[in-house]
Amino acid sequence: MRDPAVETRDLVKVFERGRRTIWQRLRREPDRRDRFRAVDGIDLRVEAGEIFGLLGPNGAGKTTTMKMLATLLIPTSGTIRVLGIDPLARPREVRARLGAMLSGERSLYWKLTGRENLEYFAALYHVPPAETTDRITRCLVAVNLSDRADDYVERYSTGMRQRLALARALLPDPPLIILDEPTVGLDPQASRDLRDRVRELRAQGRTVLLTTHYMEEADQLCDRIAIIDHGRIVALDTPAALKRTIRAEEVVHLEIGVDGDDAALLERLERAGTVARHERRNGTLAVTAHCASARDFVPAAFDAARSTGTTIRHVEVVPVTLEDVFLALTGRGLRE
Amino acid sequence: MGEVRAAFAIARKDVQTFSRYRISVASMVFTPLYQFIVPAFLFGAAFAVNGRAAGLSATLGTDDLPGFIFLGGVVAGLISIAFWGIAFALRTEADAGTLEPSWLTPTHHETFVIGRAMGGLFWFALSQIALWVIGIVFLGLRIRIEMLFALPAVLFAILSMVGMAYLLAAIVLLIREANFFVDTMQFAVGTMSGFAFPVTLLPGILQPIAFALPTTYAIDLLRVQALGSRPLFDPALEYVVLIALTAVFYPLGRWAFARAETTMRRRGMLSQY
Amino acid sequence: MNLLAADARAFFAAARKELRQQRRYPTLFLGLLFWPVLLPASWVLMGHAYSGNDPQALAAFAERAGSTNVAGFVFVGYAMYMWLSSLLWGVGTSLRQEQVRGSLEAVFLTPASRLVPLFGPGVGMLIPMSLTFVIMGIALWLFFGVVPPLAAVLQAAVVVALGMPALYAIGSLFAASVLRFGEVGPVVQLIRGMFVLACGITFPVAMLPIWAQVGAWLMPPTYIVDDIRRILLRGASLPDVAPDLAIVLSLATIIAVLAVVVFRYLETSARRSGMLGRF
Repeated sequence: MRDPAVETRDLVKVFERGRRTIWQRLRREPDRRDRFRAVDGIDLRVEAGEIFGLLGPNGAGKTTTMKMLATLLIPTSGTIRVLGIDPLARPREVRARLGAMLSGERSLYWKLTGRENLEYFAALYHVPPAETTDRITRCLVAVNLSDRADDYVERYSTGMRQRLALARALLPDPPLIILDEPTVGLDPQASRDLRDRVRELRAQGRTVLLTTHYMEEADQLCDRIAIIDHGRIVALDTPAALKRTIRAEEVVHLEIGVDGDDAALLERLERAGTVARHERRNGTLAVTAHCASARDFVPAAFDAARSTGTTIRHVEVVPVTLEDVFLALTGRGLRE
Repeated sequence: MGEVRAAFAIARKDVQTFSRYRISVASMVFTPLYQFIVPAFLFGAAFAVNGRAAGLSATLGTDDLPGFIFLGGVVAGLISIAFWGIAFALRTEADAGTLEPSWLTPTHHETFVIGRAMGGLFWFALSQIALWVIGIVFLGLRIRIEMLFALPAVLFAILSMVGMAYLLAAIVLLIREANFFVDTMQFAVGTMSGFAFPVTLLPGILQPIAFALPTTYAIDLLRVQALGSRPLFDPALEYVVLIALTAVFYPLGRWAFARAETTMRRRGMLSQY
Repeated sequence: MNLLAADARAFFAAARKELRQQRRYPTLFLGLLFWPVLLPASWVLMGHAYSGNDPQALAAFAERAGSTNVAGFVFVGYAMYMWLSSLLWGVGTSLRQEQVRGSLEAVFLTPASRLVPLFGPGVGMLIPMSLTFVIMGIALWLFFGVVPPLAAVLQAAVVVALGMPALYAIGSLFAASVLRFGEVGPVVQLIRGMFVLACGITFPVAMLPIWAQVGAWLMPPTYIVDDIRRILLRGASLPDVAPDLAIVLSLATIIAVLAVVVFRYLETSARRSGMLGRF
């Protein structure tokens, strides 16, 4: 069996909020700063050659994890191996083998052309001069930017800048590529395009580790997914297996007009399926339920409404998604 | 070898990007001209007796007013590169988001200081040439062959400037009000190095600081060797002190820079902007 | 009358907003202490280097500058520099910021006079500016022992007050033109550089070539600096400088009219093209 591309054990990152003044330090006052556990004990094993996704809402600790892998952050505790190397002990060796796209379009020089950007970073990646031109051409082709390579980056669209950032990540010809929210801010067409590029990377035998808060993206792209919330991994498996964990074939969203107490209604619904979540707003109860078959659940729901004197105003039946998995695991939606 | 190439690439990128801001390039010559050189020259000339800078001669032992001003300007230009061209420029990259991908490459982080220094020296040389041409044509500045003797002093000034830049970069990457710090400290360091007037005129409490700055000796040696002005101390001793201070500043700066880098990696400050 | 009162209120609201924004930047106030004292102080020391305490050199300076009091000469010049600088920066950047943020458009949607955003911010700078003058006066006394007589100080204050319209007019003309150029920083450098070189800030105007002197005497700051120096350092009185002040006020009117014309023109063309946000 091959070595894993990434392996972490009990990875923890604690940030301190605010700062300690020199005066407080001199007087040795107790440190009263807030401590915030951005990453709270993550064990991860990403196998070589797979596309692995970290899925979670904003602020779940995905980016912090990525930055620790990329040597930009020093963990508070825990161990990391990236391509078998310890990034704490030998950061520059990790950087030489790692392609990373972390903050996208902001990370480029807008007053340089696309090619000039790549030439600059090729030198920083220590690409041998004899290979540089060739390597840059290949990277530009890989992200489909060859025809605009000599325009200033300030004239690029967001999607083009994002692709140029990906081309830069490919410069060291890395066996492992990490992408932090690669499609955020892109229109659907540009997102699709970028996802195609990522699949090509896997086809070339590279390992891809990406973060996203788009469940469709994780579902379509990733071989395996770790769902992460409040700095912890709450589930880890293939997308299909994750969806199977909630033991439902379909998801039903209901909007019910309720005047009084809704406890009896919820109790009746719970008998027909699993109420994953309910929220009441201005006399309307929104319910998300998981069930084996909507054909059985929906009539039962109407019966329940009738018998409790409430009215179902809207019904929507959808297949199970990773959003539902996240909901089942954390009781919250991904975008909250 | 990779590091050397990276340093050149950083310098080249700086030259490329900066040259695309035309007004900034022009102001590199215009700003010192209107803020210092021309007003200082006319101010100094207002004290001239029969067209001769007798007062300056009494103070310094040379009546070459333009020479005095332009040589001070050389070191002031170097100081400005350390502050703005290197330290503040790194901070600007951190704020803009381009420092993060740069630090994701295997290039040593110190190389970014060196590369920027090289790019800065390019602009420094260019602006000094432009300024000296203006000085020769309009302000009666004379080039003398003795000025070549001052080159070693310039060389050491450059080295100590890079050492200082490491230290400054470390501070500027960590503090919040970087702009104000750079603005005021550049003025303080420049003035206390004696670029505009001899440090002996400074109030007593500031003189120890002046004598702890390598640039003070660089400016004095420049003027002594190029203009034959009265030195602060024995020039040989000044060389020794200049070299010694450079030898202190350089490792101190590198140490501080490494510390700052670790702090940023611990606190995650590289991209909080 | 009612409209005028409402406009006055809008005017002071703009000024107060400016002051509030300034308070959020503590280093701005540190800068208020740092620059007005240390910049001129360094020029005074330069003057010492150039004079070498040589009586002949000092006499030569007095002949060109009207006084042997180098410290007083420089501090008055720098007070003008600070004043000009903060007006150019302040009015220019605040108008530009409003333009970029789109709040200029919001002001234009109110019935307040169009001139409020043009002249309002300058008023907000009155307080920090007066503070700067006081600090500079104290520094001049503490570090260089120069204390002009109280009567002279009061008369100089009158000159400052009478010079104010002219300076605000310059600031507003500049600000209106900046809207057209977009970038404030480099233009401020250029204009400020012109004033520094022409108006006798750090050296006597007599040092300039004749053609430049003609240009210098077309600019109000040249008169104001010269009059204040005459009052504080050479014992002149208000009646002595009255003709100059008349010229300053006339120049102020011309510049203010020019500023309004430029601003109006930009506003109309913006309304026509629907590009108020960007002009």
